[in-house]
Amino acid sequence: MGPVELEILRNGLTAAAAEMDATVWRTSRSTVVRELLDYSTAVFDRDGFNVAQSARIPQHLGSMGAGLQTVARDFLPLDGWEDGDVVITNDPYCGGQHIPDILAFRAVFVDGRRIAVVGTLCHHLDMGGMAAGSYAANATEVFQEGLRIPPVRLLRRGVMNQELLATMRQNVRRPDMLWGDLQAQLASLVVGENNLHRLAARHGASGLVEGCIQLLDGSAAAMRGVIARMPDGRYEFEDFLDDDGITATPIRIHAAVTIAGEAMTVDLSGCGPQALGPVNATLASSGSAIAYAVLAVADVPVPPNAGCMRPIQVIAPEGLVVSARHPAPVANRIAATHRLATTLLGALAQAVPDRVPAAYYGASYVCSFQTIGAGGARGVLVEIEVGGGGGHPLEDGPNAWSCGMHNNASIPVEMIEGETIDGDVPLTILRYALRPGSGGAGRHRGGLGLVREWRVDCPAAVFTANAERFRFAPYGLAGGGPGATGRLTLVRDGAETALGSKVGNLRLQQGDVIRLETSGGGGFGDPAARDADATAQDATQGYTD
Amino acid sequence: MVPYVLAGEGVALGIRIGIDIGGTFTDLQILDEGTGALHSLKTPTTPDDPSRGLIDGIDAAAARFGFAISDVRLLLHGTTIATNAVLERRLPRGVLLTTAGFRDVLEIGRHARRDIYGLRGGREPPLIPRDRRVEVAERTRAGGSIEHALLPGAIAAALAAVDVLAADAVAIALLHACANPAHELALANALRTARPGLPVSVSSEVSPELREYERTSTCVLNALLMPVVGGYLRQLEARLAARGMRARLLLVQSNGGVCSAAQAAAQPVRLLLSGPSGGALAARDAAARLGRQDLVGIDMGGTSFDVCVVAGGRLTLVTQGEVDGLPVRLPMVEIRTIGAGGGSVAAVEAGRLLVGPRSAGARPGPACYGHGGAEPTVTDANLVLGRLDPVSFLGGQMRLDGAAARAAVQSRVAGPLGLSIEAAAEGILAVTNASLAAAIRLSLFEKGLDPRSFALLSFGGAGGLHATAVADELGVTEVAFPPDASTFSAWGILQSDIVHDLARGRLLRAGPGCLPALVEMAASLRAQAAALLTADGVPAEDRAMPLSADLRYAGQAFELVVPWGDVEPDAGTLAALLDGFHALHRQRFSYANPADPVEIVTLRLTAIGRLPRPPTVRDAAAGQGGAPASRPVYLGGAWQDVPVHRRSHLPATVHGPALIEEDYTTVLLGAGWSCGPDLVARRG
Repeated sequence: MGPVELEILRNGLTAAAAEMDATVWRTSRSTVVRELLDYSTAVFDRDGFNVAQSARIPQHLGSMGAGLQTVARDFLPLDGWEDGDVVITNDPYCGGQHIPDILAFRAVFVDGRRIAVVGTLCHHLDMGGMAAGSYAANATEVFQEGLRIPPVRLLRRGVMNQELLATMRQNVRRPDMLWGDLQAQLASLVVGENNLHRLAARHGASGLVEGCIQLLDGSAAAMRGVIARMPDGRYEFEDFLDDDGITATPIRIHAAVTIAGEAMTVDLSGCGPQALGPVNATLASSGSAIAYAVLAVADVPVPPNAGCMRPIQVIAPEGLVVSARHPAPVANRIAATHRLATTLLGALAQAVPDRVPAAYYGASYVCSFQTIGAGGARGVLVEIEVGGGGGHPLEDGPNAWSCGMHNNASIPVEMIEGETIDGDVPLTILRYALRPGSGGAGRHRGGLGLVREWRVDCPAAVFTANAERFRFAPYGLAGGGPGATGRLTLVRDGAETALGSKVGNLRLQQGDVIRLETSGGGGFGDPAARDADATAQDATQGYTD
Repeated sequence: MVPYVLAGEGVALGIRIGIDIGGTFTDLQILDEGTGALHSLKTPTTPDDPSRGLIDGIDAAAARFGFAISDVRLLLHGTTIATNAVLERRLPRGVLLTTAGFRDVLEIGRHARRDIYGLRGGREPPLIPRDRRVEVAERTRAGGSIEHALLPGAIAAALAAVDVLAADAVAIALLHACANPAHELALANALRTARPGLPVSVSSEVSPELREYERTSTCVLNALLMPVVGGYLRQLEARLAARGMRARLLLVQSNGGVCSAAQAAAQPVRLLLSGPSGGALAARDAAARLGRQDLVGIDMGGTSFDVCVVAGGRLTLVTQGEVDGLPVRLPMVEIRTIGAGGGSVAAVEAGRLLVGPRSAGARPGPACYGHGGAEPTVTDANLVLGRLDPVSFLGGQMRLDGAAARAAVQSRVAGPLGLSIEAAAEGILAVTNASLAAAIRLSLFEKGLDPRSFALLSFGGAGGLHATAVADELGVTEVAFPPDASTFSAWGILQSDIVHDLARGRLLRAGPGCLPALVEMAASLRAQAAALLTADGVPAEDRAMPLSADLRYAGQAFELVVPWGDVEPDAGTLAALLDGFHALHRQRFSYANPADPVEIVTLRLTAIGRLPRPPTVRDAAAGQGGAPASRPVYLGGAWQDVPVHRRSHLPATVHGPALIEEDYTTVLLGAGWSCGPDLVARRG
């Protein structure tokens, strides 16, 4: 396929992922998917290699391909998939990431020949287990984290497996939301399939299959060029996770990045052993952080697909916090991948210091509430908040902005409080604000974190939190200061109690307030070199204390 | 100013003028309501004060077409004044009053990024900085009850803050103001009383819909535009009055309807898509004239490509749009814009051929403009392949430099990719056409519509060379090229009606229990609509007030707008509304769940005041027969001699490949296409 037709094919595949994305958004039900936007869509070649992505969540996009590879290699070989089959899994040890994320794949056929695979990943509101939202902060085995679905066919030749669906619905706290969001995933797969059929008609089925291979080769070549333009050397960096929620011991994240010509080696052997609590990531999840970091520092835009990873060798013995072994708990796997991303960026900053900002907040602040009404009615709210971006060589870090491994939107207060139409609203948001003084000092200041407060207005609630960066602050670069650490506080009858970054099933009573304060980004450059007008503006705007 | 009498016996007929002010030209279409005679005129835009160019245009038209300024009865005006003020951030000093604890909602926004692998940028400073966002001690709850009453002391404190901060405009956006606007209105009343003349924008009046960030953003934009648009309109009306103009002035809104100048000054945020709405209106009118229910309007200019959709004879609307990344929660004509135009730059990066979205703009412009542009553009590719005539471009006003175009294509695309110059230029056009087709498909896909049942309508200066190729990409078999394509938007503006979009946001579970609320909401919307149309002088027989409702399955984030018609809410009409929702959901998303609970999020009423439509007679084209010229054009991998027609000299049938030239545009009729003198091209 010539360069012109190849570019047309690439744009067509990306448009397919974008149409799938729009379908999920418009038809999904839970606030996690529809307002937080915690989902992704992608297109894979006939062998399951990712060729096109929607512009959603790097954590998903970088590991959906690895997930599909695992499914095909160890469970359901692609050659056995039939037209109309939909294969799903949420099992972290069978291609999934953590229990709330359900991956759904569908192979696309032309004249009986498989030409591509389309896939969606949705973070579901709840998949059962010991904590609402399936985000237990104190699980010690994956068995506690929720219902595990190994790779199985939810649809076989277009026919729903009703017994599997009934089993799933029986095990979750909001079966209506599960079914609503699953339907959104299925509708999205149909949209993807229709697009691939159209592309096959335009380019020919064989042309499409071969074009996909060329697209992968093209990104691999482009990535080799990116690496070759970086100075050769070995760049090491380390950062720490606060703790695992069970013990108080910090967990080391270390990366040694070696650049030699057009090859890169990422050695993760220096990372701490897998933790007792759920801050572990499987190696497939960790791969997302590597893909994210190299794509982010690339000096030219490289079309993101599976080819990008070919020039990169990863060394990671099994059993580390970034390469967890079954049955380690993994609900908060994004704690490890956020920290791995900031560690890799810290290492790469030594190679290309003009392109890399100081550390962003580096955590998904996952706060989930199970509310219990007077009549026993249960509600589930899962919120994922963000903090400040790191100061950049060219500009201040952004305030309260999704950075790095995730890319979540906030949930409107009016949607949360309006969720219950007829009854009383079980939760009230008291404050949603920037957090002054939380950005690291620097020639370019780190962005500000934020503050959010929830008040319990129903008789009881159970609170779970999975946060990070309460002890180890986001680092500054080139002389910049660190961003502020985060905080969680319980306010009860006027008395404030500091909570840890991991909170497991804390019982709340009516009138209790939970306050979350997120980290700002690290600063970049010497604070003394900051422009005087910018400093004055910080004071006027109340960005600094 | 004498109000325009919209209908009735004995009404004198006069001149009606549609005006579209663009970046370069101000376009006028002039209709003599008595004779139906229709004229068009182009005059340079005067960016420092657009009303000057507008007056110049009217003067020139009066002189050329022989009417008196005082004969003008109706002036319909599309304007980009609001859009440009936002894009260039030429906005006054605003103050925002918000609920205590929430002054940063405007700055935090929804905090999701678009460039997922980017490490910088993406976050624009908020339109009102933090030190001018004032928290007010009050809190309304989701159901409308009051948790924390707004006390006189809090109102006084807010007034004092507005003074200290020297506000030129004030936005009031409080939490849950849709459920109960009392606190917003109390603050607004206090401000309006204490500070008469200070522009005040109230979220529950401007955009009474759920989601605090989107509503606040809309309200803030409205506040900041009030002085801008109000000032412009005052100046324009004064100038018109000084010229002896007695016409009624109506402004084109984003929803494709017009409104009074007073309404436009009060809710200027409704004008943000005024400019492109004219083209959409023209597309709707053209669809009716062509007898097509389903048509896609494509407007390709120098930097952008706009798509609008007419489905079932109606323009499709969306309930939310955005300008420069800022959400605007108001009904507007759905216009999808991508950065693809004649000036889009082609480049090879990492072995890939990329076209746009970067544009060479007017300066330096395409390489062939000879202003020093070294990068090849879509226009250069068209010139290299013989599709544009270097001598007759823009009616002969600008001579194009073919050698410069070839050099640019050779050095930046053909060389790096190892292609011939012609193959490289064809590649640039192929990538462009595929992107244009993808934008159209996405616009239709979102509504569950099949492109193959649609016709294309191509207007704008650059679209004619691409339209039949894009149609081939889509499987579309009919493409219409309207006459006067370069003043087409002004023509559309002439065809507009007065439209007020009214809405009441309130979360209701669809069922018998919600009927009393719906009856009350419908009655209040109708009363509001009747008052507005009465103020507009619209007689009863020219009014229409259809209802529609935003529905979703319980828990969904995205609502579908379901037309309800001019009905009374009762058990029967509610059942029909729900049937309509399930059917629409199935059409768009491939499934429906008729057994699932449905929520009503917003009840809408569109208050329409129909303007009379006199028949029209276009200026006769000064056509005369004559053999077409021809020139070599590179098509499908080879140079071939292709006939070149003037639009005014078209024979009974033209078979593609052929070129058809007008002063401001050229049409390439692809192989396999044919057309008659009306220039409606059909495949096969």
